[in-house]
Amino acid sequence: MRAALTIAAKDLRVELRSKEMLSAMFLFSLLIVLAFRFAFSSAVSAGTVGLTELAASALWICFSFAAILGMYTSFAKEKDRETLEGLMLAPVDRSELYLGKVLSTLVTVFFVDLLSITFFGLFFSFDYSGQVLAVVSLALLGSVTLVLVGTLVAAISVNTRAQEVLLPILLIPLIAFSVIVPSVTATKNAMASGIGDSIQQIESIAAFAAIFAVIGYLTFDFVLEG
Amino acid sequence: MMNMKRLGTILLVVSVVLILVTVYLAIFFAPLPQTSVESADQIMSAEVGARLHVAGFVSVVYSRGGNAVLDSPEHVVFSIADFRDYGRFLQANNSNNLDQQWWTVRPIDVDSISGGLRSSTGPSVGYKIIPGANLSVEGVVSSQHIAPNSNVTGFSLDSNSGNDITFGPVGAFGIMTAPVAQKIFYFHMPSAWACYLSFGVTLVGSALFLKTRDQKYDRVAFSSAEIGIVFATIAITTGPVWAKQEWGVYWRWDDMKLVTTFVLWLVYIGYLTLRAAIAEPSTKARVSAVYGILSFITVPMSLLSSRIAPLLQSSHPQVIASSSGGLSPQAGLTVGIAVAAFTFLFITMLIKRVEIAEAEDELEELKRRIGEEE
Repeated sequence: MRAALTIAAKDLRVELRSKEMLSAMFLFSLLIVLAFRFAFSSAVSAGTVGLTELAASALWICFSFAAILGMYTSFAKEKDRETLEGLMLAPVDRSELYLGKVLSTLVTVFFVDLLSITFFGLFFSFDYSGQVLAVVSLALLGSVTLVLVGTLVAAISVNTRAQEVLLPILLIPLIAFSVIVPSVTATKNAMASGIGDSIQQIESIAAFAAIFAVIGYLTFDFVLEG
Repeated sequence: MMNMKRLGTILLVVSVVLILVTVYLAIFFAPLPQTSVESADQIMSAEVGARLHVAGFVSVVYSRGGNAVLDSPEHVVFSIADFRDYGRFLQANNSNNLDQQWWTVRPIDVDSISGGLRSSTGPSVGYKIIPGANLSVEGVVSSQHIAPNSNVTGFSLDSNSGNDITFGPVGAFGIMTAPVAQKIFYFHMPSAWACYLSFGVTLVGSALFLKTRDQKYDRVAFSSAEIGIVFATIAITTGPVWAKQEWGVYWRWDDMKLVTTFVLWLVYIGYLTLRAAIAEPSTKARVSAVYGILSFITVPMSLLSSRIAPLLQSSHPQVIASSSGGLSPQAGLTVGIAVAAFTFLFITMLIKRVEIAEAEDELEELKRRIGEEE
């Protein structure tokens, strides 16, 4: 676990110095929310679309794609700078490497989630029905599951020729029912009537997080070999 | 090697014979899921006070929980309606008011219900009606509500007593009204079974490859995934043919069974895309084995989705275990033979595909050696 924390701290320190990924993800989430604002502009002013519904769906599309971007860069960067070999040579368990990557990606992804929630609130002048805290905690829970499976799939796709294209192809079907559907439902319920109505969805997301964590922890070793 | 080849030929013959037997049984032997009411007209013409018996194979359950439980037969109202148009049904259901412009509703006071499944948790009179169950209802026509549109394609049971039909906690059932379309089940369900089996073999092959690093397990894993996609495609395309006849729509995005199976199909397409994107053979085998293990998570999701109601709602008929009471012995025999046929077909195809993969690897090896000599 100490090795994992060291790796996560290293990633975050590099990120804080270069701000490469953060600035890219910041702009990305800003633009996705803006795209939704423009796309739904007439519907929102006419009031034909429910803001709660739109918020839940738009936020999760935003979270998922920003996370895909972040997880992809987290490995592509190491590969480009040839620091992946260095990491692999480090005398630590590969599973620790997985946990470290999960932690550092989670911090950045969650930060971008918070930004997206703010942008959405600003651009749609939406106050989340006073349930900001519930929305934020669901974003954290969903992001944990997303990053646990995404880090493994990102490590898989970094081995391939068509890296950027392959990550969404491999990841989106896997997160469709483990993260996106229950998270959107839970977020919608939370804004309508508080977080208590979504225990089942929360349990389901957490169960998938546990399954993905176990698979990731056990198989990461094989992905980064050779 | 020679023995393997002979085994493959024998299996091929066996599976072809079994498939032909399945076709024969499905057409001539398996009974049609009959509704004992010959036509809607028979019900339409029944006077108030007449005794009616309606029986059928439940094709779809429209209720919030996915499954509906009849708590008290005395308070059940049986009615007839147009279930084809699912959109209209929902509209009527949401407003909790059946618009008589669209609905032909004639309630029957029910005094006996049989079939369906006894609810394990409900009260002793409780019947849990699930898609795929046989249902038989007998009762006295208590009143008539005739609407201009008399396109009767289904029946509903409701817990409300009295003559006003509103949807109570029981919900409504569509009884199978396109019996011939049900024949496709003998090919749809076995191919779904074969696809789950194939992906299971992919999981085992992937895990064994990671453990032993023996290329033969990798060949088994990806060959099985390829065949699984073929079977999944058969299941996904035969389903809508039936659904159009029975539900009135080809596809329902709110039915978890359908969408999780679609996602399953996409994940394994992703598996093959991943393999195609890696040139180096050992990386290809290693990395795709990990994804092959990860992908398997979608198999239980698809397999169990129609059972994890009410979290996941589904009107897809349940076949294995829970509704075996819904199948007649003839239908059961036909399904059994069909499942055996598809299993043999899967094994045959797997052996052949692995042989091809072996030959390909051998060819690559020979090419490499010639290259070295030059």
